[in-house]
Amino acid sequence: MTTLIRANLPVLVVIAPLFVAFILPPLARRIRLVEALALLGAVLGLGGAGYLASIVLTQQENPFIYQLGGWPAPWGIELVAGSLGVFFLLVVGVSVPVLLFAQGNLAAEVGGAERVTRFYVLYLLLVGAMAGMAVTNDMFNVYVLVEVATLSCCGLVSARRYPRAAEAAFTYLILATLGSALVLGGIGLIYLITGHLNMGFAAQELSRVWLARPHVVLMAVSLIVVGFGVKAALFPLHVWLPDAHSTAPSPASAILSGLAVKGYLICLVKFLYGVFGPTLLQEFAVHRILTLLGGVGIITGSILALTQEELKRRLAYSTVAQVGYLILGFGLLNVTGLAGALFYLASHAVIKATLFLAAGAMLAATGKRNVRDLAGVGRKMPITMAAFTIGSLGLIGLPLFSGFIGKWYLLLGSWEAGLILPAVAILAGSVLCAAYLLPVIRAAYFAPAPEEDWPDPGRPQKLALLLLAAAVVILGVRPGPFLELAQKAAAELLAFY
Amino acid sequence: MNGLLTKVLINYPYLVAVLLFTIGTFTVLTHPNLFKKLLGINIMESAIFLMFVASGNIRGGVAPIRGTTNAEAVYINPLPSALMLTGIVVSVSVTAFALALIMRLYKAYGTTDLRRIAARRKEVISDDHLDQG
Amino acid sequence: MRDFILKRAASLILPFIFVYGIYVILHGAVSPGGSFAGGIIVGLSFIAFSTIYGIEQGRAKLPEKVLVWTESYGTLWYGLMGLVGLVRGVPFLANKLAGVDLGTPGTLSSGGLIPLIGLGVGIRVASTIVTLFFTIMEEER
Repeated sequence: MTTLIRANLPVLVVIAPLFVAFILPPLARRIRLVEALALLGAVLGLGGAGYLASIVLTQQENPFIYQLGGWPAPWGIELVAGSLGVFFLLVVGVSVPVLLFAQGNLAAEVGGAERVTRFYVLYLLLVGAMAGMAVTNDMFNVYVLVEVATLSCCGLVSARRYPRAAEAAFTYLILATLGSALVLGGIGLIYLITGHLNMGFAAQELSRVWLARPHVVLMAVSLIVVGFGVKAALFPLHVWLPDAHSTAPSPASAILSGLAVKGYLICLVKFLYGVFGPTLLQEFAVHRILTLLGGVGIITGSILALTQEELKRRLAYSTVAQVGYLILGFGLLNVTGLAGALFYLASHAVIKATLFLAAGAMLAATGKRNVRDLAGVGRKMPITMAAFTIGSLGLIGLPLFSGFIGKWYLLLGSWEAGLILPAVAILAGSVLCAAYLLPVIRAAYFAPAPEEDWPDPGRPQKLALLLLAAAVVILGVRPGPFLELAQKAAAELLAFY
Repeated sequence: MNGLLTKVLINYPYLVAVLLFTIGTFTVLTHPNLFKKLLGINIMESAIFLMFVASGNIRGGVAPIRGTTNAEAVYINPLPSALMLTGIVVSVSVTAFALALIMRLYKAYGTTDLRRIAARRKEVISDDHLDQG
Repeated sequence: MRDFILKRAASLILPFIFVYGIYVILHGAVSPGGSFAGGIIVGLSFIAFSTIYGIEQGRAKLPEKVLVWTESYGTLWYGLMGLVGLVRGVPFLANKLAGVDLGTPGTLSSGGLIPLIGLGVGIRVASTIVTLFFTIMEEER
């Protein structure tokens, strides 16, 4: 039995959440069973990811190549679990604490046993799609998983019953589908000139063919960057994100900001480095455009976050800024910068999940929405506010917290590439981040509180917040193994040409 | 000039695809009516499907079904058509979901025009008893 | 839409549409169509029935519980067919490698696991499209 599981591990990690997702709908009446099964599905996914990580990292089989249906590449779909795949699979494990937070808490936000079941089904579909994005090596498989993730995300955004949620979900759906169609167009162009859908084979063919057809390749690169940019909230294409992430229920906001956006960025990295390669990117100056858009995104996102009154909208604009950091790192084209971007991706997933869950707990307990109404929350809900503080300090990038390591490596990477402006943008982003998060903490701890009683959330929620906050600190104090994994993944990606 | 015209005429599916894509994207981005945005998405996706399916065609080829044609015929490439079946399924799902959302918006705001929805957003009494932030 | 002519014509034609849909599903490996298109045709026959005879009669034939079951278990059936390869030691979704007998090409039994998967997918797609129809029509009330 163990040999069976071990031999088929990449595909099992992807389909375990999907299987559990489809067992749930007929059991909609028994909500306790549904919640327990959903948690089991996510834990199985994380457990499989950990097992796969141990296999790949101890060099027993690196990379772990798996062929669906037994058909060899390029005819079949290949799943490749290398360092990057294992890295992102572990990041997808953030979904487990978020699901733990949603236990028992969801009915109040979403309403009704059947709607809660549907929420869990969509959630597990999203987790399965993210896991698939980590390991797949086939371009059309990427498109299918991206579509599954998009529809699940839109469903999660529209989970609440009020009209702003429907409007945000509609905008998100239209723009995300636009992005998917652009990505599909790009994949079509690559297929037209190379005749392969497998990323490795397409890359080899592309390196032979692109000199004869530079315009087609330029068009393909543009379509893919813009398509994934719309979905990952790259700077000028981010307009759907604040509405969507602020009107979703709290676990949904956490998973959307923390994981969904990152999944699309990982797919973008796979395309940019695994199909096109650094030589082609430099030829078309794509890397400079990415760094520029990233830097502008950091500054704009942070400034817009400063102007927001609602706490969740402030955090959503902060996500736009942090995606700017990641895109900046992807454009640096050296191992240090790329490793910094990947590590920051992981740490931001944990940090944003903490922030959104803590914010959701506070807003649910107090019934308010704006930052200035949260005065005194720190004394009434100590654990929640402590988690929020740890997350904020991590996001600002103080040493001892995980955000610092990522930003430090990004700075080193931009220094290596000989660029000054990205370093300025990174530092300015940290300062602005402090500017929009520290007032929240100050008001929560030092302002006088009204007389009402605001209880801390229940036990599963407190456990989830503690797990996430602990992860933020642990990644900051002992980043060693995870940082090495990020560096190996970056080296693998850049080792192409 | 003659060579260019021949090339353009041979590749007419791709030109039509580009034209449809432009029309679809323009409709999505500029029309205020929600239904028309959805139609724009559908037109745009049809353009992509057309481009893929046209790329599989070989002049003088036959349908790739074994056992029904003679052995020397050239089969056209079935892979892009199979891929586009998946794309059509996705398009149907997106359309269904978007229609459900439009119905919800219509019930809440009484209109399907985005400009009027933005104007009415301030007046509508939302179900704030469910809204916890 | 409760016209007498419509009802008479529908009672003659709809069973054939239903059977044609199942034909398209099962012959996915040998003729154009396949599970998705066949499932849509089967679903459309139910939708036409509900449109002509009324939503209540349609709901009586396919209550909510049945639709939820077929949707979930149709997808799980696909996964189970994929696991057939796993228990025989070959990768997920393997067809010939898993030792399934592929008969002569061009006949119905030449797909191996593919028609079985297609059946599950077809039932699921049919129930999905019927659910969508019922959801939208019932919201209008």
